[in-house]
Amino acid sequence: MNGLLNVSSNPHTRSRLTTGKVMYDVVLALLPATVFGVYLYGIHAALIIGVSVVTAVFTEFVFDYLTHRPNTLTDGSAVVTGLLLALVLPPTVPLYIPYLGSLFAILFVKCCFGGLGQNIMNPALAARCFLLISFAGAMTDYAVDGVSSATPLAVLNSGGTVDVLEMFLGYGGGVIGCSGAALLVGGVYLLLNGTITWHIPVSLIVSFALSMGIGGEGGFHPLYLLAEVCGGGILMAAFFMANDPVTSPVAVPGQVIYAVFIGILAAVLRIYGAAPDNVSYAVILCNLAVPLIDRVAIPKPFGLGDNKKKPKPKIPQPAWALAIIALLAGVALGVVNYVTAPAIEAQALAANLASYAEVLSGAENIGYEDDVTAALEGLDGTEFGRSTINEAVVGTDAAGNVVGCAINVTNSEAFDGTLSLSVGIAPDGTVLGIAFTELNETPGKGMLCDEPDFKDQFAGVQTGAFALNGDVDSVSGATISSASVVNAVNAALAFYNGYLK
Amino acid sequence: MRKKSFRGGVHPAGMKELSEGKPIQFHQAKGEMVFPLSQHIGKPAIPVVKKNDPVLAGQVIAKADGFVSANIISSCSGKVKSIESRMTSAGVIAQCIVIDNDGAYTLMDGIGRECDYTQLTSAEIVEKVRAAGVVGLGGAGFPTHVKLSPPHPEEIDYVIANGAECEPYITCDDRLMQEQPGWIIGGLRVLLHLFPNARAVIAIEDNKPRAVAAMEQAIAGEDRMEVMLLKTKFPQGGERNLVHAVTGRKMASTDLPANLGCIVDNVTTLAAVYRAVCLSEPLMEKGFTVTGDAVAEPGNFLVKIGTSFAEILEAAGGLKAEPRKVIIGGPMMGMAATDLNVPIAKSYNALVCLTEDPVEKAEQQMTHCIRCGRCARACPVGLVPQMLNLYAERKDYDRYVKLHGLDCLGCGTCAFVCPAKRPLTQLFKMTKGVILRNRAAEAAKAKEKEEKAKEAVRV
Repeated sequence: MNGLLNVSSNPHTRSRLTTGKVMYDVVLALLPATVFGVYLYGIHAALIIGVSVVTAVFTEFVFDYLTHRPNTLTDGSAVVTGLLLALVLPPTVPLYIPYLGSLFAILFVKCCFGGLGQNIMNPALAARCFLLISFAGAMTDYAVDGVSSATPLAVLNSGGTVDVLEMFLGYGGGVIGCSGAALLVGGVYLLLNGTITWHIPVSLIVSFALSMGIGGEGGFHPLYLLAEVCGGGILMAAFFMANDPVTSPVAVPGQVIYAVFIGILAAVLRIYGAAPDNVSYAVILCNLAVPLIDRVAIPKPFGLGDNKKKPKPKIPQPAWALAIIALLAGVALGVVNYVTAPAIEAQALAANLASYAEVLSGAENIGYEDDVTAALEGLDGTEFGRSTINEAVVGTDAAGNVVGCAINVTNSEAFDGTLSLSVGIAPDGTVLGIAFTELNETPGKGMLCDEPDFKDQFAGVQTGAFALNGDVDSVSGATISSASVVNAVNAALAFYNGYLK
Repeated sequence: MRKKSFRGGVHPAGMKELSEGKPIQFHQAKGEMVFPLSQHIGKPAIPVVKKNDPVLAGQVIAKADGFVSANIISSCSGKVKSIESRMTSAGVIAQCIVIDNDGAYTLMDGIGRECDYTQLTSAEIVEKVRAAGVVGLGGAGFPTHVKLSPPHPEEIDYVIANGAECEPYITCDDRLMQEQPGWIIGGLRVLLHLFPNARAVIAIEDNKPRAVAAMEQAIAGEDRMEVMLLKTKFPQGGERNLVHAVTGRKMASTDLPANLGCIVDNVTTLAAVYRAVCLSEPLMEKGFTVTGDAVAEPGNFLVKIGTSFAEILEAAGGLKAEPRKVIIGGPMMGMAATDLNVPIAKSYNALVCLTEDPVEKAEQQMTHCIRCGRCARACPVGLVPQMLNLYAERKDYDRYVKLHGLDCLGCGTCAFVCPAKRPLTQLFKMTKGVILRNRAAEAAKAKEKEEKAKEAVRV
């Protein structure tokens, strides 16, 4: 024994588990959802995932290099962030979206806070929120192959019914990692190998379901609750996002408090929020509360006070503070909603108002009318071919006589995806005119639909439906765009004749 | 059979296959024997021999200083060479009695005389244990006669024989249970005699089926004894966790087992109690495992206390490879050794020589804490090491104490399980040391101030 012996404190043995292994276990658990997403949405989804992961890893590498830090790529956390972000993106987003998202997640949310283990928000979710705010259009467009379909949750939120099984399996549409079944497989894997414990997923799902049962439209109907839990990223949040070790409490009591808060907040945002998939915001907000929760919810050491008579446990002061803040925030939210609701309505009307004025010439007042709105809501998501009725308003002249009704329609058969237009219809069913609210067709071809030569063909005609190249001549070289316009106008007529006349 | 356990804990690789099949070899040291005066918890013993005094095996060479202290017994015959400061295995230089071993092992008169414990009073039994210098041989070294003198002996309803041996590598308790079950049962009988309302539970981890079988066989016909199977998990043999596993009672850090009606003793200690009371043999030898991948012939020994580690390593065939790390005790709670020319004290039970140091590798894999909470889930006393780590690093000692950081056992569970490879246990031991030292310094300062004030009054 000649060499120098190593001296260190006990323990002189360590488990084989490393940070890298923990992270790659998460990647492994995400694999079923990833593979299914690529299978479902094809090569573009694969590209989104690729761009997201590569950007995340590369960004961390460059940051480490430029700041002279040790290379931290081996810990695998950048891969996890990139993959998680890709799985919560819609499958059709342009590739600069995952690029910017990953860059934001790694650079601003993770590295700027000190890197692995130091970030206060989940990087992938923070990036998703950043993208949702910055690119609202692309981030909520779930159209695949030019077919725009509402996500199951959007349908559910507008009162429709959905096939829960289809939704659970992932065929219902949504983000790339939308398959609840695949996420559950991954989640169970993580539970079994001890990477996560049951406390966060179970507390989150139970508190969410209870809150939805109390406040949601469907009450405690099991199918309704199941659909709500399977949709909108609740499973993703429960097993992966909320369970991110860095941004969740360390000890079990804190984890339960945290998960319950996320569940309640997610339900509140889903019931009262503008968009149905607001669970991202719920998780991020609760991430920010973690340091406070960690300070309050400290587990009792083994055996402490068990053998003595003890006074009634006091609820620690910060818990009260937290509860009061939550209550005040809830009340404030309600008040803001109450105050701003009419303004929001006016703003929605204003968006299409110009087109309504154009097609209802002579009308002094244009606004919603209860019968018309009721008929529209009664549609229940029904589509007229590939057209969706967005809005219907009524115009009256100075004397109060009805000039006609204006209907805003979106058709998804246009050359560039979708076009939207308003159709004015007189009480006798005569078309007064059309005006576009959204037209992004090919310049010089499809864009010519907006010229009077084409548009005026509709005005003054009383018919059940227009026939292309019969009643209406198509713009030369833009048959697809023309057909889309005709279908949109026909949808408006069908709605008018079927429901309003 | 019931299989019980506690909450938390970890599963390090057992590595017991290296030595578990090796029968206990009786080993008599040849060279000089060294006896540190402090081999137990409590005050160091006071030497009662002088340089050049002849001594016999079994002779008391240092007397207990007060109640919480223990006699030191010479395990060999020969001559006192010196009483001097020497390096002890704890890495601490301490007063030791060095005896020139004549190799004859001549016993003192009366040693080995059989004695019927049923004829003795409780006080006489405790006195025999005290005189024999018996301390907790599982590692803590708490004087056994203190443990056997609880304020209310009639309230003790459990005597627990700790045969968990949850440390990886170590197999000497396992072998002792297989080869000398009679000694252990004998010790239990003595304890049951002291505590008439108690029943005895022999708690063994389920990775020692042969020891379980041997003990089951040995207790046949004993109506106050049972064998209990425990899950193999570290630290199953920790006193508080063992009491919880066996009785369901939760010991706080401030409790003694006796408060909860329990007496816990290691099986080796029970064997020593039996030999002290029934065979009149003081504590001169104990079970010891020499193992690790650097050792030529790993094995189990009955070794004389005071033998140097170097000598027992020779008895195990010496080294077959250059070790990177040598551990006195097991890898979870043992101490890293720098020098093998130090004596085996009463509470040491193993020497583990490893060709690779897992800590070295772990240091290369260290990352920031990822807050995964595994440490909190594993901590056998329910602390949150992640938070303690935070406050210890910030030197926020008030908060550290508030989070019960002083309850830390230093068992190594958190550092073992940490995927980020943070040196948690090391930091906690250090912080605990700093806090206790600060407290002592403050107390001393306050005392000084008080005395000065008194003096001022006198003047």
